[in-house]
Amino acid sequence: MAAATDTLAPQARRTRPLFPRIDGGTWISVGIALMAIAFTLGPILYLILGGFKTQNQLASDPVGLPQPWVWSNYADILTAGIFWRQLLNSLLVAVGTTVGVVACGTMAAYPLARYRFRGANALFVLFTTGLMFPLTVAILPLYLLLRDMGLVGSMWGLIVPQIAFGLATTIIIMRPFLAAIPHELEEAAFVDGVSRVGFFWRILLPLARPGMVTVGVLAFIGSWNAYLLPLLLLTSGAENMTLPLGVTVFQGRYASATTSIMAYTSLAMIPALVFFLILERRIVDGLTGAVKG
Amino acid sequence: MTTVTAPAREEGPAVDATSAAGTRPTPTGNTTRQRKDTARKWAEIGLFVGPALALFLTFVVYPVASAARYSLFKWNGVQQFSEATFIGLENYARALFGGTDPATQAAFRTAYSEPFWTALGHNFAIIGLSMAVQLPLALLVALTLNRRFPGRAIARTIIFAPYVLSEVIAGIMWLIILDPNGIATRMAGAAGITMPAGGWLESQTWGFWVVFFVVTWKYLGLAIILFLAGLSGVPQELQEAASIDGASWWQVQWRINVPLIGPTIRIWAFLSIIGSIQLFDMVWVLNKGGTTGQYSTIASFMMQVGYFRNDVGFGSAIAVIMFLISLVIALAYMAVMLRGDSNSAGKAR
Amino acid sequence: MTTTRRTLAATATVASAALLLAACATGGGTTTPSGSSATSDEPVTLTWWHNGVAGDNGQNPLGDLWQELADDYTAAHPNVTIKIEQIQNEDLQRTRIPTALQSGDAPDIFQQWGGGELAAQVDAGYLMDLSSVLSSDIDRLGGAVAPWQYQGSTYGVPFRFGVEGIWYRKSLFEQAGITSEPTTMDELNAAVDKLKAAGITPIAVGAGDKWPAAHWWYNFALRSCSKDVMQASGTTFDFTDPCWVDAGKQLEDFIGTQPFQDNFTATAAQQGATSSAGLVATGQAAMELMGDWNIFVFEGFAADDAAKEELRADLGWFPMPATTGGKGDPTAALGGGDGFSCYKDAPKECADFLSFLVSDEAQKRFAEKVGGLPVAPAATSAVTNENLQELAAVASNAGYVQLWLDTTFGMNVGGAMNDGIVAIFAGTGDAQGVIDLMTAAAATQ
Repeated sequence: MAAATDTLAPQARRTRPLFPRIDGGTWISVGIALMAIAFTLGPILYLILGGFKTQNQLASDPVGLPQPWVWSNYADILTAGIFWRQLLNSLLVAVGTTVGVVACGTMAAYPLARYRFRGANALFVLFTTGLMFPLTVAILPLYLLLRDMGLVGSMWGLIVPQIAFGLATTIIIMRPFLAAIPHELEEAAFVDGVSRVGFFWRILLPLARPGMVTVGVLAFIGSWNAYLLPLLLLTSGAENMTLPLGVTVFQGRYASATTSIMAYTSLAMIPALVFFLILERRIVDGLTGAVKG
Repeated sequence: MTTVTAPAREEGPAVDATSAAGTRPTPTGNTTRQRKDTARKWAEIGLFVGPALALFLTFVVYPVASAARYSLFKWNGVQQFSEATFIGLENYARALFGGTDPATQAAFRTAYSEPFWTALGHNFAIIGLSMAVQLPLALLVALTLNRRFPGRAIARTIIFAPYVLSEVIAGIMWLIILDPNGIATRMAGAAGITMPAGGWLESQTWGFWVVFFVVTWKYLGLAIILFLAGLSGVPQELQEAASIDGASWWQVQWRINVPLIGPTIRIWAFLSIIGSIQLFDMVWVLNKGGTTGQYSTIASFMMQVGYFRNDVGFGSAIAVIMFLISLVIALAYMAVMLRGDSNSAGKAR
Repeated sequence: MTTTRRTLAATATVASAALLLAACATGGGTTTPSGSSATSDEPVTLTWWHNGVAGDNGQNPLGDLWQELADDYTAAHPNVTIKIEQIQNEDLQRTRIPTALQSGDAPDIFQQWGGGELAAQVDAGYLMDLSSVLSSDIDRLGGAVAPWQYQGSTYGVPFRFGVEGIWYRKSLFEQAGITSEPTTMDELNAAVDKLKAAGITPIAVGAGDKWPAAHWWYNFALRSCSKDVMQASGTTFDFTDPCWVDAGKQLEDFIGTQPFQDNFTATAAQQGATSSAGLVATGQAAMELMGDWNIFVFEGFAADDAAKEELRADLGWFPMPATTGGKGDPTAALGGGDGFSCYKDAPKECADFLSFLVSDEAQKRFAEKVGGLPVAPAATSAVTNENLQELAAVASNAGYVQLWLDTTFGMNVGGAMNDGIVAIFAGTGDAQGVIDLMTAAAATQ
């Protein structure tokens, strides 16, 4: 990808990192990093700390640390049950979507990557055009379709379309992954009498795991953060909603209890942030891998 | 944007690795055996591709095709579609310039056309501002962070965090912060800036800019991390050689690093543009695009009229327009990429 | 070996995930299909959505009353379970009910404001016909049920109905030297000037929620348009009469005198001390144009009973002042109410419960505990608040009572109308713009 040129005079390979001195440059980097951290973290910290204050505290001393630390906002939400119910809903939908997308997408990418057949290219292009149809564009007719199918109000109504809309990205990412696996493996397997399906299941999948994890992570995040489809489908009550939708309902109902809303929103952030911390490497690698192509 | 989409690979669907794929050594058997093999091969293909294809056709292709169909009708989504009235391209005309009926044109223009162009203008403004503001800013930050310094890993993690959050949750957080009686007003006041008339979000002049600020907060980290990843792929030797040759740090960045991460920048730009076209969750949570549409987007306008005012035909027309704009952008992008590919020399494969 | 185990594990995970999903998916809906059987012994669950949420002081008299009534009903009918969800008014009317009705996954009992909104829901087939099963209640409640009727049938029952006017703080009026309640727009403008001179915000308006701002326009239209034009518009959606544009012009003039608080488009109607109700309750603004329910919204900002008493004593009310030159009946009043409807597929116990909710006994409790204006004639004696009594008197003496215009015209045209009016407030629209938006919405429905 990068045009590597070797036309410069040969140099002894430098072992120290470039610009290694603790100089003004380092301080600039640290300074800018701190500013970026403050910019990013500031609002989030305000939100989290606000949940530990009373309304009056928030009004009189918004920037300072809570004094005293009020636990009731967070405690009430954690003991009320609705938060956990919504968390579970989000989890189930996200897991269902992820499993579905990874399974169907990887399976579909396999023939497109390694078989030769008429229509392979056309199929791949078809899936690629899916990138042009995000859920937002299709939402009105999709909603009507789901309603006619009776999938409204059930989690399947969320999972199945989300799987369908995640297929384009998945196939695009998985196809080169699967294609890159050496043919010697395949030929050896066939010589040993392994069927194509067997080859897929026993040899290819384990090797493709990094790609599958990447795709899975992207699908999980996408499903977890979804708002529009749940808004239209999960209409029957707050206990059936996913977490982002639940936060908006909580905010609408308790609008004047700002610190309560701050607590609820902070708690809703935690799963995503935890997930992110554990898998940050994967997420970044996945994105940059997709970007680098 | 709540999902990340990777663009179509520029070099087209044919991947080198498949050229020899799937060709078993042809058994020297009779043709029945060959036919059985072919049948089996097709069965396997069907098994593998089947589920994905079925889901894709049912839940992606069919709805989008339906949108195109519904856009030609006047339909409220509640009555049976068979009872809807066919009005041809009237929905599109209404959105673009108020419709073809002179009696209602003035009214339709105020009601549909003006909000449509306002929303579209907002989308394009976000795209333009992303390129003009987010891109240089992210680039600058990425370049300065592209060196060893204490806390580098932590900084990268924190900077990327907002991207993982839901737009809804980020929106509610900012709704609290930007409340006219909230902390933003207080901090701005301490800095000598007064809150604009109407409030941070409701101001007729500044509401949109504030929303762009919030969108930037959410997505700047993505750009920074992507650029950093691209920069890490630049060979050290190049930078070293240049610095030995007497280039200043700034020159090294500008002349070597930035051009070499050109592809990364282009792809980020593509993702950013497509995401900007679809922007919905954030503006909807931030008071549904503003009381008078100060920061409405095409998607929020579509939902307001198409769903909450039960005008599925009109909403579908807006959706189709959204799709066409994305298509044009994607095609333009591919054209630029292909031209860029043929221009750049020695592109390694 | 390891692969087999892995395969088994994978299959088990997928299977259990599927089972879990199936279990949770079916547990999602709580509406039971309409029971046509006559036995009342089968367990029935009713879901009930209403707008009684806690006020700023954490208290929720309306929500508590509904819970008490639900408990009383379930005690008398042990096979019935009632699941209540309290939803803030704006969310309920603009988002939750529309999305639930459209998706078909709707609650059994939900808030109903009547008029064109109700008509649209009936046309779409969402509502249960209550005409026969609640016929005695309908007779008992009298003429107030009219907005909840459509094409001769009744589809909802009201529990509250009243007209609107201007609530004000007596102490702030005193402070500004205003000695009598304004009866004309000129007198109102003079009062506004006096309040401004005394450094008091004259009028609070919750333009952020759109409808509170719109009510100013509705009242100007009521005074401007003749009774025939006004009453015909609900069915013909004809707004060509110049009185409609005139209403907007009067509004523009009024806004030009700057009688409202700052940042009114960012101000909510009922939530938080900075909402329009909150401003009046905390004495930071002198007046608010609102209906009868506002009395218990105001009280929701009082920290304790003593403060409530103080507030109650300090509140005054006068009807919308008269304008000059309009063709409207000067005694006409704008009003509306709250009620409940049953979803089409709700169990028949839903209608029975509705009957219980609007019984004379329940209505009396409503008047006593919550302090609103009940609909049942037998319960009006329980209304003790002077302001509410004055309000009720104005209603009964009115030449006619016009239902809120956005409720009359329905979500489509009404929503467009509110948008246009808010645009006038925000300075981005004008009087003609409101008419254009309404005409456009009417043409496309």
